[in-house]
Amino acid sequence: MMLIGNPVYKRETMVSSRSFRLALVLLVFNGILALVALLNMYSTLTQVRVTAEIQYSSFMDLYLFVAVLEFIMLVFIMPALTAGSISGERERQTLDLMLSTKMTPAQIVLGKLAASLSTMVLLIISSFPILALVFVYGGVTIKDMGMLLICFGAAALFVGSLGICCSALFGKSTLSTVAAYGVMGAVAVGTYGINQLALFFSRMPNGAYFVSSGAGAAEGTSGGLLYLLLINPTTTFIMTMLRLTGKDQAGGGIIRWFGTHGENFVSRNWVLCSVVLQSALAAGMIWVAVRAVAPGRKGR
Amino acid sequence: MLKIERLRKVFGNYHALDGLDMDIPDGALYGFVGPNGAGKTTTIKIVSGLLLPDGGTVEIDGMDALAYPYRLKEKIGYVPDYFGVYDNLKVWEYMEFFASCYGMEGLTARKRSLTLLDQVGLGDKEDFYVDGLSRGMKQRLCLARALLHNPALLVLDEPAAGLDPRTRLEFRETIRELNQQGMTILLSSHLLSDLTELCTDIGIVDAGKMLLTGSVEEIIEKIHTSKPVIISIYKNMETALNLLKEHPLVRSISVKDSEILVQFAGSERQESGLLTELVQSGVQVRGFMREPGSLEAVFMQLTSHEEERVVLSYDADRESGL
Repeated sequence: MMLIGNPVYKRETMVSSRSFRLALVLLVFNGILALVALLNMYSTLTQVRVTAEIQYSSFMDLYLFVAVLEFIMLVFIMPALTAGSISGERERQTLDLMLSTKMTPAQIVLGKLAASLSTMVLLIISSFPILALVFVYGGVTIKDMGMLLICFGAAALFVGSLGICCSALFGKSTLSTVAAYGVMGAVAVGTYGINQLALFFSRMPNGAYFVSSGAGAAEGTSGGLLYLLLINPTTTFIMTMLRLTGKDQAGGGIIRWFGTHGENFVSRNWVLCSVVLQSALAAGMIWVAVRAVAPGRKGR
Repeated sequence: MLKIERLRKVFGNYHALDGLDMDIPDGALYGFVGPNGAGKTTTIKIVSGLLLPDGGTVEIDGMDALAYPYRLKEKIGYVPDYFGVYDNLKVWEYMEFFASCYGMEGLTARKRSLTLLDQVGLGDKEDFYVDGLSRGMKQRLCLARALLHNPALLVLDEPAAGLDPRTRLEFRETIRELNQQGMTILLSSHLLSDLTELCTDIGIVDAGKMLLTGSVEEIIEKIHTSKPVIISIYKNMETALNLLKEHPLVRSISVKDSEILVQFAGSERQESGLLTELVQSGVQVRGFMREPGSLEAVFMQLTSHEEERVVLSYDADRESGL
């Protein structure tokens, strides 16, 4: 069954499009973005009045600032949209009714995910006019915006799949929401923390127990643990933004934050590799969700 | 229509189903009775494809239900013991959503939904939000939903639970009409009186096993023969006792004053024959009757557990100060 004809997707989009909640989320989301963008512009223009000098980098900062804010909001909103989707059906006792029809567990899970992603896409598209403020001053191309969109899309898919997976595994919406945010926090902060810890140990003074030998020992390195960051959507986003805003003149992006690492295919194509890996993980989480929803031997 | 053999289901250490057998003929209205925890809902969930068994076979309309779970969903309509409704949908939206779950779209779905809403008496409520419906209406809406794809087997799990007597009666009539239209129905319920009046066949289940099954007539007959014949003798008690002792259908005799309680394993015609024999042998009979039996009595007798009796005797002992 095509996704557009998926009954769950159709019902979810119909109900959400007429709900007050969606309008409120759109208003708050774009309101915050617009407020931040306009304040930033106001501050830049005030500076122009004082110094009679236009700092074009300020407009790039505006783009960066708005994009970062949008990414943070997306990552926080997506689990809220998805974590209660399957568990909510269980709580309403409607999941068994859907499973008793010709709907397959995969159609139910994909319909739910697609509906949440649609809301996310709506939020992203509705925020484009605000992001496009920088077009007035130049410096950002349509291609750059496209790359940002792909980055947002990959993050939304990953976080959304995580939310759906938690929702399918836990019976209660409260529990699945806590679990989704917990895992998301562990991925976002945990992978960063592990790398920082590894770097800290590798930089311990000579003669200390943990010091390693080799060329990079003096500067320190987080070693192979760096690749854990590939599953972190925040890292993908930062790498994208560093490239788009030209703030990574030295190259290597955040890889350099964690000591000396040799150049290889992954480091050269970090964004691509992380998007592919996160998409694969998202597919894995969707598969787990489908298995959890499917009628089994344990019952619900 | 539905044939279950040696169905087993274990949850941890608990045997929910322990070799359950069931055979529902085409067009039957099968009453599925049992105490709480007997395995009714587990059986219904397995039949509806919502739970996998640990053993046994389920055949629906000649097809292995466990091998082809999705193909069989077209044949089954499932009404659970809860409403399962979306409060933020209108009645027609709810129906059309489930119609699309069965692959019906557009005008076909609309027409089918409206026909069924009319059939269950909700034709004038199609624009109402589901949230605004009463319990009885929600239950009828659930029934209409289960009929969307015109299933061959309708499975209802305690559908009258929590309904007021009037709504229950209306619901019962709707089920009867569906059965008269040729639909095979499996109906699980605690309301034995309803089942006796409504069903063509009955199965009594306990501890995951089928204790008694058959057509209502057969079961009534079994109930009937399980009750003693009470014979009041006016004169010639000795002759009566001698005759009864010799009778091949008499299983046991007990005497209390001028009354004889006889366990008589015969039909109503044979009962009449026994009375004739007594009269012809010179016994003056003042009264002759079989104690009326009920499905409730049989149900209680079949499903009474030893531990329950122990608790009762313990309570009685405590009350008496022992």
